[in-house]
Amino acid sequence: MKKIKTVFALMSAFMFVALTTNAQKGTLQMNLNYNYGIPSGSFNSDLISNGSPRGGRGSIMYNFTDHLSAGLESGYQDFYQKYPRDLYHLSNSQDVSAVLSNSIQTTPLLIKAKYALTNNSGVKPYVSLAAGANMINFRQYFGEFSNTQTSTGFLAQGGLGVMIPFSKSGHSGINIGASYDYAPYNKNGYTNLNTINLQAGVIFPIH
Amino acid sequence: MKKTFLWSLVIGGTSLLYIGCSKEPLDNLTTEESRIYITDHDSTVNFTNYSTYSISDSVAVIDNGHATLELDNTDAAYIDAVKKYMSVAGFTLVSKDQAPDLGLNVNNIINTTTGVISYDDYWNNYGGYWDPYYWGYSGYGYYVPYAYSVYQVSEGAISVNLLDLKNAAASNKIDVVWTGLIRGPGIFDPNVADGRVKALFDQSPYLKTN
Repeated sequence: MKKIKTVFALMSAFMFVALTTNAQKGTLQMNLNYNYGIPSGSFNSDLISNGSPRGGRGSIMYNFTDHLSAGLESGYQDFYQKYPRDLYHLSNSQDVSAVLSNSIQTTPLLIKAKYALTNNSGVKPYVSLAAGANMINFRQYFGEFSNTQTSTGFLAQGGLGVMIPFSKSGHSGINIGASYDYAPYNKNGYTNLNTINLQAGVIFPIH
Repeated sequence: MKKTFLWSLVIGGTSLLYIGCSKEPLDNLTTEESRIYITDHDSTVNFTNYSTYSISDSVAVIDNGHATLELDNTDAAYIDAVKKYMSVAGFTLVSKDQAPDLGLNVNNIINTTTGVISYDDYWNNYGGYWDPYYWGYSGYGYYVPYAYSVYQVSEGAISVNLLDLKNAAASNKIDVVWTGLIRGPGIFDPNVADGRVKALFDQSPYLKTN
């Protein structure tokens, strides 16, 4: 809970500083990204070590100034890994020989703030912070027999990247970025679903 | 018009991500990988205290809580395989009239109408499937000293149960000291019975006479 409060405090301070430094008429932009998710920490060591090429992120951001935008982000990522047959000790006396498959789908819904570090017409590097809910569908298979758990957790995200405009007007462009998702997950002895994400996509105005 | 197109693109793209971008675990399993083998035992029991066993000459087909005894090719193959690996573990087969230390039952668990029955239910009715009278202990009850309910049985399964007859008279009950459960596709095939039963014994190294 302390970490969650810290994330929201950082986001609030981030937005306050930007809003008070440059106020311009707003525009609404959409950002659609392909996302490659890489499990990290205990997510990687305990559940799934394979990177996931099956995912995407989308956001709608309102430009409060030339530097600051904020809005909503959502997405989807599918993680999967199959482990060779092994013997699992489920209790002091019970053993199961099985091929274990872990299948996890995450759907974050985040409030996001993005700060552009420059205001020129060329490549625009930026940093971002986001926080919100993470809807999780976790299926664990012993052979063909599954145990499914759905839950909603917290997710905080810090990111950076560059926006490469298509033209000097700078309203549309290509986005290339990376982020780190901090996602606690305290079930069945697991602790988190933290990921490193690599993204590429497009940004374009919708209003 | 442009906005409508863009929103359609976004909603359509998101839907495609959900539907098309998941890897379905069941589609990535072979038949062999689909099967599981579960064993459980009374961890207070030392199996070296037993040396002889007897095995029932037929298999209980338990269908939605009702049992019938049968012996087809598959049943015979499983009984033969259990005899083989009990012998490998050092146990001696005797007739049930020769006061065996252990009794062995093989069961086909089938559920066709109610969708799901739990293994707890299976144990609750065990005395109805195998009358303790069969083992010479009329009026006794069975006792399972461990929880065996991780998976629900919603389709075919084969179970092998090892019963403590040596101490039944002293305790006035028949303890189920070891169970093995085979689940998954292709298990009701006489040609694969040996390998399936071997898997149960392989993961139970404590099941030996010395």
